[in-house]
Amino acid sequence: MFAGDQNGLQGDPRLKAISEAIRVVPHFPKPGIMFQDITTLLLDHKAFKDTVDIFVDRYRDMAISVVAGVEARGFMFGPSIALAIGAKFVPLRKPRKLPGEVISEAYVLEYGTDCLEMHVGAVQPGERALVIDDLVATGGTLSAAIRLLERVGAEVVECACVVGLREVKGHHRLNGKPLYILVEPRQQTNCSAPSGIISSL
Amino acid sequence: MMQRSLIFSSPNPISPHLSTPSPPPVNAVIPERNRWIAPSSFSQPSFIRFQNYQRTLPSLLCTAASDSVANQQQQMASQEEQDTRIAKISSVIRVIPDFPKPGIMFQDITTLLLDVGAFRDTIDLFVERYRGKDISVVAGVEARGFIFGPPIALAIGAKFVPMRKPNKLPGEVISEEYSLEYGTDKMEMHVGAVQAGERALIIDDLVATGGTLCAAIRLLERVGVHVVECACVIELPELKGRERLGKTPLFVLVSSST
Repeated sequence: MFAGDQNGLQGDPRLKAISEAIRVVPHFPKPGIMFQDITTLLLDHKAFKDTVDIFVDRYRDMAISVVAGVEARGFMFGPSIALAIGAKFVPLRKPRKLPGEVISEAYVLEYGTDCLEMHVGAVQPGERALVIDDLVATGGTLSAAIRLLERVGAEVVECACVVGLREVKGHHRLNGKPLYILVEPRQQTNCSAPSGIISSL
Repeated sequence: MMQRSLIFSSPNPISPHLSTPSPPPVNAVIPERNRWIAPSSFSQPSFIRFQNYQRTLPSLLCTAASDSVANQQQQMASQEEQDTRIAKISSVIRVIPDFPKPGIMFQDITTLLLDVGAFRDTIDLFVERYRGKDISVVAGVEARGFIFGPPIALAIGAKFVPMRKPNKLPGEVISEEYSLEYGTDKMEMHVGAVQAGERALIIDDLVATGGTLCAAIRLLERVGVHVVECACVIELPELKGRERLGKTPLFVLVSSST
């Protein structure tokens, strides 16, 4: 669901500022891709703080004890949310980064597969968890994150992203879990493009 | 036997009142030129309890004028409170032997992140030090610097700038190469993220040889930024990162030596 669709946040000027603070870099990492660069959001202290605050306001009273952040940009948002809602932060990492015992979940890329890992013992059965990443595209990474948490008996309450499309592969849910997204991807910087406008680059 | 010592402060330009802490006693063999120390003999539980610590007067509490008794008592209480927080933080950092390769004792901060109070205290200790010091940039080194940096940046009103491995940042970047034990690596920062004259902090979870931090310092200084201090949760003092940082001060919460 989109933050702006909810009664409380409809027309919230914070969402507009957050959207405009995100830079679009064309043809990265390869031609045809309009990369949604959240690093410019991190340079805007107010917009960054508002981003965290919107998530915190939503999750503070949901009895969430785990915020799982996907490497690496999920690390930039997750810990601040975790600290504010009194949850632990659990990094979900690329292979061989976490020391000690881990569990792994493979997921499909456009070409080939990749793997996401989580520490054994980081999360207990029955814990309520949030998954955080900067952006959801195909949902492959988030799906792997959900599976990792469910394998250890945690309940994934929601997946939260700063940027994402309204539908991921035609669905509003991912593995049956709700998605909460602040803003849609834009086609080009300095232009809040309504749907239907394609960049002429 | 591994010792942990707690260093709360270091000589730094933020406050002139500090004395330099003396380094903890070194009983170890000369360390290898890599990130972590190889112990000569080892057996340990997963969680290291801190054994002894040393403290210096924290810069925040020093005042130039002579203090009233009440003020001094307040300082003493605050000192104890800080020591308690640091002791807890030290006790929840997990040490994993033989990672990423045999002989290396890896300092794992992920267990710190699982302890809500200790993680919060970690951030608070940095925020207390850097708030109100006109720092407009917190630069965090990929990837564990991304965990500590943003909460600090948000609390002190600074922007957060990620310093990344090659080819991760989109758009125009500047690069700085640095040495590894075998070969080199590169660190990148976005062009335009920081302006000349800004005051910056660099954050990472741990400092060993100081190679990564030095690359980060060079990147920022190349664009005219003043690096006020480097801040880490953990220091491995025998790898002499502090010296390698040269004129740039280093602040750590926990010092870990063998």
